Parts: sequence; C-alpha cells; structure tokens
Amino acid sequence: MAVTCPVDFDTVRLRDEIRSIYSRVAAAPEGEFHFHRGAAYAETFLGYDPGALARLPASAVESFAGVGNPLRIETLPAGATVVDVGCGAGMDLLLAARAVGPRGRAIGIDMTDGMLRKAEAGAAAAGLANVVLRQGDALELPLESASADFVVSNGVLNLASDKRRAFSEVLRVLRPGGRFLYADIAVASELPESIRRDIDLWSG
Amino acid sequence: MWLLGDVGFEDVEIRERFDPFLRTSKERVARKYGVVGVNVRGRRPRT
Repeated sequence: MAVTCPVDFDTVRLRDEIRSIYSRVAAAPEGEFHFHRGAAYAETFLGYDPGALARLPASAVESFAGVGNPLRIETLPAGATVVDVGCGAGMDLLLAARAVGPRGRAIGIDMTDGMLRKAEAGAAAAGLANVVLRQGDALELPLESASADFVVSNGVLNLASDKRRAFSEVLRVLRPGGRFLYADIAVASELPESIRRDIDLWSG
Repeated sequence: MWLLGDVGFEDVEIRERFDPFLRTSKERVARKYGVVGVNVRGRRPRT
C-alpha cells in the first residue's frame, strides 16, 4: 500500500468516495461491491468463529468488510479498554466488547453515519452496555492520549490518505505498553503511480 | 510494516496472512502486485 497519496491527489474526493461506498455497505450490504462482505466471507476467508458470529445481531455482521482477523492475534483480557478504529457496523467491536466484559470498554470510531447507527443498534440488540461510539477520522482520533489498552482495526487504515499520521494517532491513544492488533492489506512491492492515482483502488 | 516501526511501535510482527481478494474483481490486480490481507501486532513502548 502507498504510505501517502500522490501530492496532487484529491484527498477530499477520496474521503467522500470512501464515505459514500461504506454508507451503501451499511444501508444495502446485499448490493454489488467489488469486495466480499458478511458472515460467510468472515468465516471462510478470515477464520472467524461461526458460533461467535451467530451470537451477534445480523445487522452487525452483514456489513462486515474487513481483510483480516485482528482479534485472533491476541485474546483481549477482561476489564481492558479497546478502541476499534473504523468500526463499521460493529462486528469486531461487539466481539471485543464481549471479550473485555462489563468491567471493560469497547470504543468504536467511524466516520460513516450509517455504520455508526448500525453499530449502536447492534450493541443495544446484543445487550452490550460497555460499547461507546464516536464519529471520527483515523487521522484525528477523538480520544485522549494514552487512554486505550488495545487498538484494533480491520481493513481501514489502508484507506487513509496519510498512513504515517494514522499510525501516529494509534500510538498516541495507546497507553505505554498498549497493543495494536491490526489487520490490513499489504503489498509485496511499491505500487506504480497509475495504481496510486486510481481512486477506485484507494477507496475499496 | 516498516512504517509502524518508523512511527515508534515495538515488536512489530506479521502474524497471519489472508486472501481477501480471491474471487473478486480486484483479484487480478492483487495477484499482480502481491496484495494480501495480514494480521499485524505492535506495541507502544513502555517508556
């Protein structure tokens, strides 16, 4: 993935395109997209536990469009504060909320209204009172410094126009010793300029 | 992953790889440039 967009790249248009696409994923996950979504994809391609997904509200799972399985990296301990950057409709967020339990907190950050509403509804349907949702941007997280034990993110930061800044924000909000459990796309070699300028490839 | 270390994370490690573009319209581009999904962990230094 490119670390930053080309200098003259229209990052406003990129942000708008991302918001538009993922608003559609939230509203109509059964629609046509050029990426996989939902429970069958999560289970078959990314190793999510079918039983755990079956215990979540369908609304939280149907719009899932991650590219890895960050909660498989390490078990979240009870009582921890975990932040999900780009939580979408909340599949990873609700799994994390269950893991940290009522003494913990699971904070979901997303820039898409439709996704946040789904995540909020999903948390309520699942009876998870330890979920907090905030609208925000990966480049400027609406969180205090050193406030999280864990940050998770799944297939989101590859969409950021400035990955150095996004990673710096994650570092900032983690407590010293805090862990970043991160799933994203990676490339074997630097992408050519034509690919880096293709907004369609940046946005999903 | 070098960027995570450059920003200040410690113990950066790829833990697992996935193929999220299999059977999508992006599969050909993904294969050409070696694009995969990865699970990565890192840690903020304690001091």
